[in-house]
Amino acid sequence: MSRSAARELALFLLRAPTRPAGVEAPRLKSRTGVEYPTEWARRYAVRLARAMVLDDVTLPLVTAAARPAFYGRDALERLEGPVIVAANHASHLDTAILLASLPPKRRHHTVVAAAADYFFDRHWKAALSAFSLGAIPMERVKVNRRSADAAAALIEEGWSLIIFPEGGRSPHGWGQEFKGGAAYLAKRCQVPVAPVHLRGTRAILPKVPEPARSRFRPGKTAVRFGELLWPSEEEDARRFAARIEAAVALLADEAEGDWWTARLRAGRAETPSLRGPAVSPWRRAWSLPASADPSRRPSGRPEGSAATAWDEG
Amino acid sequence: MSPRPGVVLEVDRSTPPTLFWHGEGFRLEKLPVGSRIVYAPEPVSPLANPDSAIRQALENPLGDSAPLSSLLRPEMKLTIAFDDVSLPLPPMRAPDVRQRVIEAVLQMAAEKGVDDVQLIAALALHRRMTDDELRHILGERVFNAFAPYGLLRQHDAEDPSNLVHLGFTDEGEDVEINKRAAESDLLIYVNINLVAMDGGHKSVATGLSSYKSLKHHHNVRTMQHSRSFMDMHHSELHTSNWRMGKVIADAGVKVFQIETTLNTDTFPEQFRFLQRREWEWALADRAGFFASSRALERTPPGLARKIFHSIKAPHCLASVQAGEVGPVHARTLEHVHRQQLVTVEGQSDILTMGLPFISPYNVNSIMNPILVACLGLGYFFNLYRGRPLVREGGVVIMSHPTPWAFNPVHHPSYIDFFEQVLAETTDMFEIESKYETTFATDPWYIHLYRTGHAYHGVHPFYMWYWCAHALSHLSRVIVVGGERAAVRRLGFSPASTFSDALEMAEDAVGRNPSITHIHTPPLLIADVQ
Amino acid sequence: MKALVFERQLARFAASRLVSDLSGSGRGVGVGPLELLEVEPPELPGPGWVRLEPRLAGICGSDIATLDGRSSRYFEDVVSLPFVPGHEIVADVRGGPKDGERVVLEPVLSCTVRGFEPPCDPCRRGERGRCERISFGALAPGLQTGYCADTGGGWSGGLVAHESQLLAIPEEMSDEAAVMIEPTACAIHAALRSERAQAGRVLVLGAGTLGLLTIAALRSAVSPSLLVAVAKHPEQRRWAKRLGADYVVAPAEAVRATRRLTGSLALPVDGSVIARVTGGLDVVYDCVGSHSSLASALSVVRPGGEIVLVGMPGPVKVDLAPLWQREIALRGAYAYGTEQTATGPRRTFELAAELVATAGLEELVSSTYPLERYEEAIAHAAAAGRRGAVKVVFDLRRRGDRRLGGEKENR
Repeated sequence: MSRSAARELALFLLRAPTRPAGVEAPRLKSRTGVEYPTEWARRYAVRLARAMVLDDVTLPLVTAAARPAFYGRDALERLEGPVIVAANHASHLDTAILLASLPPKRRHHTVVAAAADYFFDRHWKAALSAFSLGAIPMERVKVNRRSADAAAALIEEGWSLIIFPEGGRSPHGWGQEFKGGAAYLAKRCQVPVAPVHLRGTRAILPKVPEPARSRFRPGKTAVRFGELLWPSEEEDARRFAARIEAAVALLADEAEGDWWTARLRAGRAETPSLRGPAVSPWRRAWSLPASADPSRRPSGRPEGSAATAWDEG
Repeated sequence: MSPRPGVVLEVDRSTPPTLFWHGEGFRLEKLPVGSRIVYAPEPVSPLANPDSAIRQALENPLGDSAPLSSLLRPEMKLTIAFDDVSLPLPPMRAPDVRQRVIEAVLQMAAEKGVDDVQLIAALALHRRMTDDELRHILGERVFNAFAPYGLLRQHDAEDPSNLVHLGFTDEGEDVEINKRAAESDLLIYVNINLVAMDGGHKSVATGLSSYKSLKHHHNVRTMQHSRSFMDMHHSELHTSNWRMGKVIADAGVKVFQIETTLNTDTFPEQFRFLQRREWEWALADRAGFFASSRALERTPPGLARKIFHSIKAPHCLASVQAGEVGPVHARTLEHVHRQQLVTVEGQSDILTMGLPFISPYNVNSIMNPILVACLGLGYFFNLYRGRPLVREGGVVIMSHPTPWAFNPVHHPSYIDFFEQVLAETTDMFEIESKYETTFATDPWYIHLYRTGHAYHGVHPFYMWYWCAHALSHLSRVIVVGGERAAVRRLGFSPASTFSDALEMAEDAVGRNPSITHIHTPPLLIADVQ
Repeated sequence: MKALVFERQLARFAASRLVSDLSGSGRGVGVGPLELLEVEPPELPGPGWVRLEPRLAGICGSDIATLDGRSSRYFEDVVSLPFVPGHEIVADVRGGPKDGERVVLEPVLSCTVRGFEPPCDPCRRGERGRCERISFGALAPGLQTGYCADTGGGWSGGLVAHESQLLAIPEEMSDEAAVMIEPTACAIHAALRSERAQAGRVLVLGAGTLGLLTIAALRSAVSPSLLVAVAKHPEQRRWAKRLGADYVVAPAEAVRATRRLTGSLALPVDGSVIARVTGGLDVVYDCVGSHSSLASALSVVRPGGEIVLVGMPGPVKVDLAPLWQREIALRGAYAYGTEQTATGPRRTFELAAELVATAGLEELVSSTYPLERYEEAIAHAAAAGRRGAVKVVFDLRRRGDRRLGGEKENR
């Protein structure tokens, strides 16, 4: 074969053919975002592997860093069948801590609704989320038919679902409006919602607005489960979502003070909103409880002494 | 043991060699018998409970001012201005005293429900600070509550839309300051009075002003008539600022001044020998000196600089006072003097000094030759009250490596000043009249000042003017161990050893000169009788 | 007669290139194609020609480039070998009606010299440097005396010249002053090449003979509003200042200084290291002619500005993107002829003679050497700046020596 013929052949093999103008290009299918298929992650072998990694690696690490105290888990223990766990959301630690709070059997039969645009935007991220936490993609802004159908199908199969109705981690430490996803799924599948309040995770690993900086600082957390909330016929999803938010707010009040005072305030309809006071941004930031503020200076260091032990007051 | 006052030691045959700072390092020099060494007083005891002392000060203001809490109303516009990274030196261990004060003020403002609050770094023509520097000064809580919402600003002296001209002083000086500060219902200024020059009306009138306003007191004439600028009663710099302070008050700007003083606990444990008197060096001090000098010899200059600039001083809050500017500053000066004043009898022919790695204008940066001149002849020379430590026509010998090196991000106009202006002339008045305006209005420097971390184009001029009093007073300036070309460019004489320098000095002041060594840092003010 | 002769000897050519690459410019002369020989004086080519006996002959930057084997191959067709270098010549006329007169030579071999009648268009306008017939006519190819096989050159005991090439010099002018007239004429011609320089902001890159003379020429003939000089060595800095530069800066400071003096912005914007200015100077006179000097010139000239190449460039590699995007004009400035002045057209050499006298440029002659020490002389000239010298010339005035040398050669 002559050199030019060899060159011709090489070019023919290496170059993709050009497309005539009149022909439509076949569209490559996007396999990320809400369209990412997660079935593989619920196969028995994968579940087994996930259970081992979760129980022996992830959760021990997270528990060591966040030292969670659990309250009110009995509400869940009495329930057979799937539940939707709805919690406030301020940190990447939240999911793992919620998984740790569930009894092992339920834990290994739970999927986590995760933001499709954040956890499923790349193939590797999607695979990692699906494997390690059993995440399923969820559209965070609106109820997306495809992701809702998928979640509902899983609940009907008997899977419990962890969902953060705020739609994402709070950027400033105060709660955001609870969106209707959890309420909608509960109504559609007629399963109860377990309202949960997580306290202290933001102080360990916050999401912060620029130019503030997120830093990891081990600390203590508290996980409070409230009474199970059942959907009712006469209540639409939006109002049910508000009821879930109120339940989490009550748990929050309880977490900062005590159960009785929180109840009294609830009775007078004075439970403080999760969303914080409606004041200027600096005052909202300033009035964050210490448990949600990673930047709070421990007060009262006696200056003269060489010892730098902080007074944990 | 209560802290001991400063002391003037007369060197005799059994006096151990004296420590001289030498940039990122130190040397031991044997001073001739009969020389005097001025040692700073030991650090005063800190306030036992700084946070409650701050609250006390806010609620019991001095002069004609109501307690802070009664000045705060929900619908008011409140601005809190604070001193920048040039203070204190070295930067203090967290929590910075400004953080403590501002947290206390904000706590009060939050309780009173003041929504419209802004923090402004009073930079004047200094460089903008980095987020990390601001975070260190203010603490993370304050930073996180303000920075993300655009409520933490750094004063921009080149932003015409955010400056307001408040009028003229009796002497015709422009008073132009930050608009937000001027238009607030209350302006709270949080200061650190590291040296006697700081604070008082200078805080607002300088820290929040523009070039237009600053040039009335930052000029050669004023600096030659500030004897010294560390003594406000004999400082033209301060007189001018006080005149401006009056204009600011007359324009209806209500200032609540909070001033703090620190003790002179300057160096952490491993460098404690730096603030001890040499004859009291214990084994640990001698070992510390030996180990650090040996280690530094082997360390490349860039790394040594990094190590030194990571030092955080254990400074503690020594006093805090709040209220009306005049009475507050008077009380502050009492505290500064209590900490720093040392009585010295008479002047000498030669003043010697060791210059450290840091000056107010090179925090986290390089001490370039202009800053070396400014630290020695601007700051250390002026650390006196009454008369200078050195007689008129005397000589200053300072020790510093004086490398021909600049931080191009922080000091762009310094490079041009050094390479182009000082190459032509070192004469203050010629420099001022021929070059100042072009540097001050150069759009490139202005761009870097406003958007980067650069000192304003005119800043190297001020550093040079800062030396005006010393240069008109002295007959010669000698730098020991400095890079010769750089020292010559400054118009000073290089000497390779201390004894060479003494011999050179004798040419100017005669045989057997009297010598005084100012043993600083820690800082001191010589009260020369 | 003794003469330094430049011959075509490829091996020697390569050797000199190699040595000058390895040990520095001017060092390859000993092994190069230049030799000191005993030769017959050149024939008079025809009527109107006279014999000259050089008194002083300068060593020019272009001579050194030729000797280093570094000049462009472009010149191969406009020179004829073997030639005797030397075109900065002050000499005595020998024979003819002007016998004994002291003259300076205008070395360009233009139409009149080559016997063309009528002359080409540029020559008719007096722009002899732009002559279109430098390889043709009665003489062997050669753009100037000193590059032509038929005329001889200044680095010898004698040469021939056409009467039109001569400029009589006044009695009171020293030989040293006279030998500066030719390079000064180059500088004046270069200074006048750009109209933008008038009341503009200009920078002169390089402070060798040509750079310094360009500064002097700009000061006297053009009066720019700002004149910055870039000089490397202390002696050059002193001279640049004395001849009229407002500011003298080191090469490394050129961009920074330009930025400051023009109040321009600069790139990159982080302020760490300034690579180029976004505004800049109206005209840059590149008196070096290397790729790095051209790159520097491009980094400091303003959009719409102009670069004048004064020093002889060779093949250079340079990024022309700024030239294109900033619409910069690049102009050559070669030799001399006639200049348009306020008082009408004048011969560049006359203007140069005046400037040499008024500015005291004879002091730029730093060293003189006899022909025999030509290796030393050329090495000195090549390293002039570093060794604190400006112009190095051959001194041919001592006849006794010349005769003595000849006898030695005969033995």
